[in-house]
Amino acid sequence: MNKFGKLEVLWLMLITISLFNTTLGENFNSTLIVSAIIALTTMFKGMMIIDHFMELKEGNKILRIMMRAYFFVFPMLIIITLFL
Amino acid sequence: MHKTEFMTHLQPDKSLGIFPDSWSEKRAGRIPGNVPIWVGILSELTEFGIFFVAYFVAKINYPETFAEGPKQLNTFIGISNTLVLLTSSYFMAKAMNFIRRDELKKCEAFLWLAFFSGCLYLCLKTWEFSWNDAQNIHTNTSQFFTVYYYMTFNHFLHVGWASCAILWVIFRLRKGAYSAKEHSGLEALAVYWHMIDLMWILIFPLLYVLR
Repeated sequence: MNKFGKLEVLWLMLITISLFNTTLGENFNSTLIVSAIIALTTMFKGMMIIDHFMELKEGNKILRIMMRAYFFVFPMLIIITLFL
Repeated sequence: MHKTEFMTHLQPDKSLGIFPDSWSEKRAGRIPGNVPIWVGILSELTEFGIFFVAYFVAKINYPETFAEGPKQLNTFIGISNTLVLLTSSYFMAKAMNFIRRDELKKCEAFLWLAFFSGCLYLCLKTWEFSWNDAQNIHTNTSQFFTVYYYMTFNHFLHVGWASCAILWVIFRLRKGAYSAKEHSGLEALAVYWHMIDLMWILIFPLLYVLR
Protein backbone atom coordinates (compact mmCIF):
# COMPACT_ATOMS: atom_id res chain seq x y z
CA MET A 1 0.00 0.00 0.00
CA ASN A 2 1.25 3.48 -0.82
CA LYS A 3 1.89 5.09 2.58
CA PHE A 4 1.92 8.66 1.25
CA GLY A 5 -0.92 8.97 -1.18
CA LYS A 6 -3.30 11.62 -2.51
CA LEU A 7 -5.11 12.06 0.84
CA GLU A 8 -1.85 12.72 2.71
CA VAL A 9 -0.71 15.30 0.11
CA LEU A 10 -4.10 17.00 0.30
CA TRP A 11 -4.06 17.05 4.11
CA LEU A 12 -0.55 18.57 4.18
CA MET A 13 -1.57 21.18 1.60
CA LEU A 14 -4.66 22.19 3.63
CA ILE A 15 -2.60 22.45 6.83
CA THR A 16 0.09 24.55 5.10
CA ILE A 17 -2.47 26.96 3.59
CA SER A 18 -4.20 27.36 6.99
CA LEU A 19 -0.91 28.17 8.73
CA PHE A 20 0.09 30.57 5.95
CA ASN A 21 -3.27 32.41 6.12
CA THR A 22 -3.05 32.73 9.90
CA THR A 23 0.50 34.15 9.71
CA LEU A 24 -0.69 36.58 7.05
CA GLY A 25 -3.64 37.71 9.18
CA GLU A 26 -1.50 38.03 12.32
CA ASN A 27 1.17 40.18 10.68
CA PHE A 28 -0.69 42.34 8.20
CA ASN A 29 -3.83 44.45 8.16
CA SER A 30 -6.62 43.20 5.90
CA THR A 31 -5.78 45.25 2.83
CA LEU A 32 -7.24 44.31 -0.54
CA ILE A 33 -4.27 42.08 -1.39
CA VAL A 34 -4.28 40.27 1.98
CA SER A 35 -8.07 39.83 1.91
CA ALA A 36 -7.96 38.56 -1.68
CA ILE A 37 -5.25 36.00 -0.84
CA ILE A 38 -7.23 34.79 2.20
CA ALA A 39 -10.51 34.66 0.20
CA LEU A 40 -8.96 32.75 -2.73
CA THR A 41 -7.09 30.26 -0.54
CA THR A 42 -10.26 29.68 1.53
CA MET A 43 -12.12 29.05 -1.74
CA PHE A 44 -9.39 26.64 -2.85
CA LYS A 45 -9.48 24.73 0.47
CA GLY A 46 -13.26 24.39 0.22
CA MET A 47 -13.09 23.12 -3.37
CA MET A 48 -10.45 20.53 -2.41
CA ILE A 49 -12.59 19.17 0.43
CA ILE A 50 -15.71 19.12 -1.78
CA ASP A 51 -13.94 17.32 -4.63
CA HIS A 52 -11.64 14.92 -2.79
CA PHE A 53 -12.89 14.36 0.77
CA MET A 54 -16.61 14.52 -0.08
CA GLU A 55 -15.77 12.76 -3.37
CA LEU A 56 -18.03 14.97 -5.46
CA LYS A 57 -15.46 15.31 -8.27
CA GLU A 58 -16.71 12.06 -9.77
CA GLY A 59 -20.02 12.28 -7.89
CA ASN A 60 -23.34 13.99 -8.45
CA LYS A 61 -22.93 17.04 -10.72
CA ILE A 62 -25.85 18.99 -9.23
CA LEU A 63 -24.55 18.61 -5.67
CA ARG A 64 -21.03 19.52 -6.81
CA ILE A 65 -22.27 22.68 -8.55
CA MET A 66 -24.27 23.74 -5.45
CA MET A 67 -21.37 23.07 -3.06
CA ARG A 68 -18.82 24.82 -5.27
CA ALA A 69 -21.16 27.79 -5.79
CA TYR A 70 -21.44 28.13 -1.98
CA PHE A 71 -17.64 28.17 -1.70
CA PHE A 72 -17.40 30.71 -4.49
CA VAL A 73 -20.04 33.17 -3.20
CA PHE A 74 -19.02 33.48 0.47
CA PRO A 75 -15.25 33.89 -0.04
CA MET A 76 -16.02 36.42 -2.81
CA LEU A 77 -18.10 38.41 -0.30
CA ILE A 78 -14.85 38.93 1.68
CA ILE A 79 -13.46 40.87 -1.28
CA ILE A 80 -16.74 42.59 -2.25
CA THR A 81 -17.34 43.98 1.27
CA LEU A 82 -13.99 45.83 1.07
CA PHE A 83 -15.53 48.05 -1.60
CA LEU A 84 -18.75 48.78 0.30
CA MET B 1 -59.16 7.99 -10.61
CA HIS B 2 -59.69 4.25 -10.14
CA LYS B 3 -58.37 2.86 -6.79
CA THR B 4 -55.80 0.47 -8.38
CA GLU B 5 -54.61 3.24 -10.70
CA PHE B 6 -54.24 5.53 -7.66
CA MET B 7 -52.22 2.88 -5.78
CA THR B 8 -49.88 2.50 -8.78
CA HIS B 9 -49.08 6.20 -8.46
CA LEU B 10 -48.01 5.64 -4.85
CA GLN B 11 -45.49 2.90 -5.66
CA PRO B 12 -42.29 3.69 -3.76
CA ASP B 13 -40.09 2.92 -6.79
CA LYS B 14 -41.85 5.57 -8.86
CA SER B 15 -40.22 8.98 -9.12
CA LEU B 16 -42.17 11.82 -7.52
CA GLY B 17 -41.59 13.81 -10.69
CA ILE B 18 -40.68 16.94 -8.73
CA PHE B 19 -37.18 17.30 -10.18
CA PRO B 20 -36.06 17.21 -13.81
CA ASP B 21 -34.78 13.85 -15.09
CA SER B 22 -31.33 15.40 -15.62
CA TRP B 23 -31.04 15.65 -11.81
CA SER B 24 -31.46 11.90 -11.32
CA GLU B 25 -28.58 9.87 -9.90
CA LYS B 26 -28.49 7.96 -13.17
CA ARG B 27 -27.87 11.10 -15.21
CA ALA B 28 -26.13 13.49 -12.74
CA GLY B 29 -23.86 10.94 -11.01
CA ARG B 30 -23.59 9.04 -7.74
CA ILE B 31 -24.75 10.69 -4.54
CA PRO B 32 -22.18 10.05 -1.76
CA GLY B 33 -23.97 8.65 1.31
CA ASN B 34 -27.69 8.91 0.71
CA VAL B 35 -30.36 11.45 -0.26
CA PRO B 36 -31.63 12.18 3.32
CA ILE B 37 -28.15 13.20 4.56
CA TRP B 38 -27.86 15.63 1.64
CA VAL B 39 -31.22 17.17 2.56
CA GLY B 40 -29.72 17.64 6.03
CA ILE B 41 -26.42 19.00 4.69
CA LEU B 42 -28.12 21.51 2.38
CA SER B 43 -30.38 22.64 5.27
CA GLU B 44 -27.31 23.14 7.48
CA LEU B 45 -25.55 25.06 4.70
CA THR B 46 -28.60 27.33 4.43
CA GLU B 47 -28.53 27.92 8.20
CA PHE B 48 -24.82 28.77 8.19
CA GLY B 49 -25.36 30.81 5.01
CA ILE B 50 -27.76 33.04 6.97
CA PHE B 51 -25.08 33.45 9.68
CA PHE B 52 -22.51 34.43 7.06
CA VAL B 53 -24.86 36.99 5.51
CA ALA B 54 -25.51 38.39 9.02
CA TYR B 55 -21.72 38.59 9.53
CA PHE B 56 -21.17 40.58 6.32
CA VAL B 57 -24.13 42.92 6.99
CA ALA B 58 -22.85 43.59 10.53
CA LYS B 59 -19.27 44.06 9.26
CA ILE B 60 -20.40 46.67 6.71
CA ASN B 61 -22.30 48.55 9.44
CA TYR B 62 -19.64 48.28 12.17
CA PRO B 63 -16.26 48.14 10.35
CA GLU B 64 -14.16 49.31 13.34
CA THR B 65 -15.70 46.78 15.73
CA PHE B 66 -15.04 43.99 13.21
CA ALA B 67 -11.45 45.14 12.66
CA GLU B 68 -10.73 45.18 16.43
CA GLY B 69 -12.70 42.06 17.47
CA PRO B 70 -10.40 39.37 15.97
CA LYS B 71 -7.36 40.93 17.71
CA GLN B 72 -8.93 40.15 21.09
CA LEU B 73 -9.46 36.46 20.26
CA ASN B 74 -7.02 33.67 21.05
CA THR B 75 -5.65 32.89 17.57
CA PHE B 76 -3.58 29.95 18.89
CA ILE B 77 -6.74 28.09 19.93
CA GLY B 78 -8.44 29.10 16.67
CA ILE B 79 -5.69 27.71 14.43
CA SER B 80 -5.37 24.62 16.66
CA ASN B 81 -9.05 23.90 16.08
CA THR B 82 -8.55 24.36 12.34
CA LEU B 83 -5.69 21.84 12.29
CA VAL B 84 -7.66 19.39 14.45
CA LEU B 85 -10.73 19.54 12.18
CA LEU B 86 -8.71 19.23 8.95
CA THR B 87 -6.95 16.21 10.44
CA SER B 88 -10.28 14.69 11.53
CA SER B 89 -11.52 15.02 7.93
CA TYR B 90 -8.41 13.20 6.76
CA PHE B 91 -9.10 10.41 9.31
CA MET B 92 -12.67 10.15 8.06
CA ALA B 93 -11.50 9.90 4.43
CA LYS B 94 -9.07 7.14 5.46
CA ALA B 95 -11.88 5.27 7.22
CA MET B 96 -13.86 5.39 3.95
CA ASN B 97 -10.86 4.04 2.03
CA PHE B 98 -10.54 1.09 4.42
CA ILE B 99 -14.23 0.14 4.43
CA ARG B 100 -14.08 -0.05 0.62
CA ARG B 101 -11.32 -2.63 0.99
CA ASP B 102 -13.27 -4.53 3.67
CA GLU B 103 -10.52 -3.75 6.22
CA LEU B 104 -12.94 -3.27 9.10
CA LYS B 105 -10.37 -3.05 11.92
CA LYS B 106 -8.44 -0.25 10.20
CA CYS B 107 -11.69 1.51 9.33
CA GLU B 108 -12.71 1.39 13.00
CA ALA B 109 -9.30 2.69 14.11
CA PHE B 110 -9.63 5.75 11.87
CA LEU B 111 -13.20 6.34 13.04
CA TRP B 112 -11.90 6.38 16.65
CA LEU B 113 -9.21 8.87 15.61
CA ALA B 114 -11.89 11.08 14.01
CA PHE B 115 -13.98 10.78 17.19
CA PHE B 116 -11.04 11.77 19.44
CA SER B 117 -10.31 14.71 17.10
CA GLY B 118 -13.92 15.83 17.54
CA CYS B 119 -13.53 15.55 21.34
CA LEU B 120 -10.26 17.51 21.20
CA TYR B 121 -12.02 20.24 19.19
CA LEU B 122 -14.77 20.43 21.83
CA CYS B 123 -12.17 20.66 24.64
CA LEU B 124 -10.23 23.41 22.83
CA LYS B 125 -13.43 25.35 22.15
CA THR B 126 -14.50 25.06 25.79
CA TRP B 127 -11.05 26.34 26.80
CA GLU B 128 -11.45 29.24 24.33
CA PHE B 129 -14.89 30.18 25.70
CA SER B 130 -13.55 30.17 29.28
CA TRP B 131 -10.43 32.13 28.15
CA ASN B 132 -12.76 34.72 26.57
CA ASP B 133 -14.71 34.87 29.81
CA ALA B 134 -11.49 35.56 31.75
CA GLN B 135 -10.74 38.45 29.32
CA ASN B 136 -14.22 39.82 30.02
CA ILE B 137 -15.43 38.95 26.52
CA HIS B 138 -19.12 38.06 26.42
CA THR B 139 -21.94 37.74 23.88
CA ASN B 140 -22.89 41.41 24.34
CA THR B 141 -19.36 42.87 24.44
CA SER B 142 -19.74 44.15 20.86
CA GLN B 143 -21.57 43.34 17.63
CA PHE B 144 -18.53 41.29 16.55
CA PHE B 145 -18.73 39.06 19.62
CA THR B 146 -22.48 38.57 19.25
CA VAL B 147 -21.84 37.20 15.73
CA TYR B 148 -18.77 35.29 16.97
CA TYR B 149 -20.71 33.46 19.72
CA TYR B 150 -23.69 32.82 17.44
CA MET B 151 -21.50 31.16 14.81
CA THR B 152 -18.97 29.34 16.96
CA PHE B 153 -21.42 27.97 19.54
CA ASN B 154 -23.66 26.71 16.75
CA HIS B 155 -20.66 25.05 15.12
CA PHE B 156 -19.65 23.62 18.52
CA LEU B 157 -23.06 21.92 18.79
CA HIS B 158 -22.67 20.43 15.29
CA VAL B 159 -19.27 18.93 16.17
CA GLY B 160 -20.80 17.58 19.40
CA TRP B 161 -23.67 15.68 17.85
CA ALA B 162 -21.59 14.53 14.84
CA SER B 163 -19.04 13.08 17.31
CA CYS B 164 -21.89 11.14 18.95
CA ALA B 165 -22.89 9.95 15.45
CA ILE B 166 -19.33 8.60 14.96
CA LEU B 167 -19.83 6.46 18.10
CA TRP B 168 -23.10 5.15 16.65
CA VAL B 169 -21.39 4.29 13.34
CA ILE B 170 -18.57 2.48 15.20
CA PHE B 171 -21.23 0.49 17.08
CA ARG B 172 -22.94 -0.41 13.76
CA LEU B 173 -19.59 -1.29 12.17
CA ARG B 174 -18.86 -3.69 15.02
CA LYS B 175 -22.30 -5.26 14.55
CA GLY B 176 -21.37 -6.00 10.93
CA ALA B 177 -23.68 -3.43 9.34
CA TYR B 178 -21.02 -2.10 6.96
CA SER B 179 -18.86 -3.82 4.37
CA ALA B 180 -17.12 -3.03 1.09
CA LYS B 181 -20.46 -3.66 -0.66
CA GLU B 182 -22.79 -1.73 1.67
CA HIS B 183 -21.56 1.27 3.63
CA SER B 184 -23.93 4.09 2.68
CA GLY B 185 -24.61 4.86 6.39
CA LEU B 186 -20.91 5.29 7.11
CA GLU B 187 -20.46 7.39 3.97
CA ALA B 188 -23.43 9.59 4.99
CA LEU B 189 -21.66 10.33 8.29
CA ALA B 190 -18.38 11.02 6.43
CA VAL B 191 -19.93 13.64 4.12
CA TYR B 192 -21.75 15.25 7.08
CA TRP B 193 -18.43 15.43 8.99
CA HIS B 194 -16.72 17.03 5.98
CA MET B 195 -19.56 19.59 5.81
CA ILE B 196 -18.81 20.57 9.44
CA ASP B 197 -15.14 20.94 8.52
CA LEU B 198 -16.14 23.08 5.51
CA MET B 199 -18.13 25.44 7.72
CA TRP B 200 -15.14 25.91 10.02
CA ILE B 201 -12.94 26.63 6.97
CA LEU B 202 -15.22 29.64 6.31
CA ILE B 203 -15.73 30.66 9.95
CA PHE B 204 -12.02 30.69 10.81
CA PRO B 205 -10.82 33.41 8.37
CA LEU B 206 -13.95 35.52 8.97
CA LEU B 207 -13.61 35.61 12.75
CA TYR B 208 -9.89 35.13 13.46
CA VAL B 209 -7.84 36.13 10.42
CA LEU B 210 -9.48 39.12 8.68
CA ARG B 211 -8.96 42.36 10.61
